[in-house]
Amino acid sequence: MADSELIRKYGIPLPVAKIVNTKQEAVDAAKHMGFPVVLKIVSKTILHKSDVGGVKLEIQNELQLREAFEAMEKNIPKKDIEGFLVQRWYPGHWAFIGMKRDSQFGPVIAFGMGGIFVEIMKDVSLRIAPITESDAREMIKEIKAYPVLEGARGGIKADTELLVKILLAVSKLSMENNDIKELDLNPVVINDKEAAAVDVRIIR
Amino acid sequence: MKNLDFLFKPESIAIIGASRDEKSVGYGIVANLVKGGVFATRHNESFKGDIYPVNPKADEILGLKCYKSILDVKNKIELAIIAVKAAIVPLVMKECVKKKVKAVIIISSGFAEFNEEGKKLQEEAVSIAHNAGILVLGPNCLGLVNTHAFLNASFAPAMPPKGEIGFISQSGALADSIIDWALWKNYGFSKLVSYGNAADIGITELIEYFDADKETKAIAVYAESIPRGREFMRAASKAKKPIVILKAGQHETGMKAAKSHTGNLAGSYEVYKAAFKQSKIHEVQNVDELFEAAQVMAYQVRLKGNNIAIVTNGGGCGVITADNCFQEGLNLAVLSEDTLKKMDMSGKMHPAYSRSNPLDIVGDALPERYEAALNAVLLQKDVYGLIVIETLQTMTDPIENAKVILKAKEKFKDKPIIAVFMGGKFTRMGKLFLESHKVPVYAYPMKAVLAMKALLHKKV
Repeated sequence: MADSELIRKYGIPLPVAKIVNTKQEAVDAAKHMGFPVVLKIVSKTILHKSDVGGVKLEIQNELQLREAFEAMEKNIPKKDIEGFLVQRWYPGHWAFIGMKRDSQFGPVIAFGMGGIFVEIMKDVSLRIAPITESDAREMIKEIKAYPVLEGARGGIKADTELLVKILLAVSKLSMENNDIKELDLNPVVINDKEAAAVDVRIIR
Repeated sequence: MKNLDFLFKPESIAIIGASRDEKSVGYGIVANLVKGGVFATRHNESFKGDIYPVNPKADEILGLKCYKSILDVKNKIELAIIAVKAAIVPLVMKECVKKKVKAVIIISSGFAEFNEEGKKLQEEAVSIAHNAGILVLGPNCLGLVNTHAFLNASFAPAMPPKGEIGFISQSGALADSIIDWALWKNYGFSKLVSYGNAADIGITELIEYFDADKETKAIAVYAESIPRGREFMRAASKAKKPIVILKAGQHETGMKAAKSHTGNLAGSYEVYKAAFKQSKIHEVQNVDELFEAAQVMAYQVRLKGNNIAIVTNGGGCGVITADNCFQEGLNLAVLSEDTLKKMDMSGKMHPAYSRSNPLDIVGDALPERYEAALNAVLLQKDVYGLIVIETLQTMTDPIENAKVILKAKEKFKDKPIIAVFMGGKFTRMGKLFLESHKVPVYAYPMKAVLAMKALLHKKV
């Protein structure tokens, strides 16, 4: 099963997206779903797409989209590109939800805020799966960056119950799919109305 | 639950590898069974059941008849302690099967902890035992002590004082030193066990057994790694008694680079921490904290809500305590108008008392002022626990203050009260009085705060 199908099967919301091959198809798709959008290469050979310039976030208009498309075509070897993904962009906070299968404790669920919060500050909460709803709520409140989700300093107040649902879904998915060793939903964009796992990485 | 009575409460014991050499482990074990301990203390008592030393070269050890083989013993043997070379342990195990021994402690090392060959020997010995339904503790362990059965089935230096803390240790040497420390501090244990390589019985089985054990009130654990993590979590979550753990090996020097973010973030210690939190295990960072927390959790009531008060006769100490509470995540209650009124009406307060939490009742506080403050504060519903601090001034009366605190403890049975008597020489008598009445008392605030935090983590 394709990763996105598996993710969808467990009710984890994915952003509206379309795979295209040409620049014009990309523009049409973006106009159809509405700007802003994200452009990403589709590739089996490249694991860290952003490291090679294969991800462009928050594209606001057609011109920016065309430029991003051209840059990717120019900078990434053709053999590594199977297509392009145009995805709707959601304004909101970037959260991070992940899973790692520990040799002694089994699946461990991780939660944090995306970007520097997890990468530099290691501000992350962990629980062993399966987790309960109250575990999930605790995980969200436990991180130091929690006030950000609460709308600190005039930011968006996130509907954290949507994150609770995703955490529970990841817990269930990890209990039922033993072949999955690690999983990253990074970022999960969250605002006051919706949440979407913008990037999914599954390691089997 | 695995019944481990044949390990902890045997009626007869053989020591295979008993020795006459006073510097050997095989001698130490026999001496511990015969005398309770090699190092003489008033807590040592000899084992009341039958003791059978086994050594083909000796006729007598410490006045006991020595046997060439366990098979030469006519009477039944419930527990065999094995202290021979690793290579012959499988052979000895076969004899134990023949003799219908119920449980063995393999003290010997040179097994899975050593090399591949040792690992094979361990598997062989344990499978022989398994097929015959024999319980195995070890190998590569110190053994165990059951103070309530006068059983020192180990090569630990002596028997620790009798008490109600069950100590489970992966390390044997640490347990040895803890016994010496316990003797010095008069700190009691119900049972003490080192499980070594845990080839059969490990931390999970021991937690289940201690949880059901009538003589144990709190369980202290020292562990470096916990295999079968999910079973461990299940046992710990189910346990009714408080469990305190010191997990060593928190920093991995060569953590393997994982492919995902989660892989990198969820290092093994972080995963342990999550597991402890989910299974309601209280985690500590030091050996002294391990036993202080176990002690306080064994004897004090749970802190039912995260809201406490601090009463002090020294402002500075109150501030330090408040800081420590903040660091450890303990909330300070807001004193109500009603509480303040009660204190005002008592006629015992200094006009300049702080009227807020931490409640500074001023340096010249006499026992009656402490009493008025304690009563008022503890009557407030959302004050769930109290830290009471005494600093020594010319008019301070440590003994009478201690009595006031004990009285409050007896009156407010469902709220934990922890004392800090700062000082040394002249506060000592007050401290001893509190200790003898099982009121926790410490020399400085952080200890009291950590103890209070442990009580917040207590399950029932």
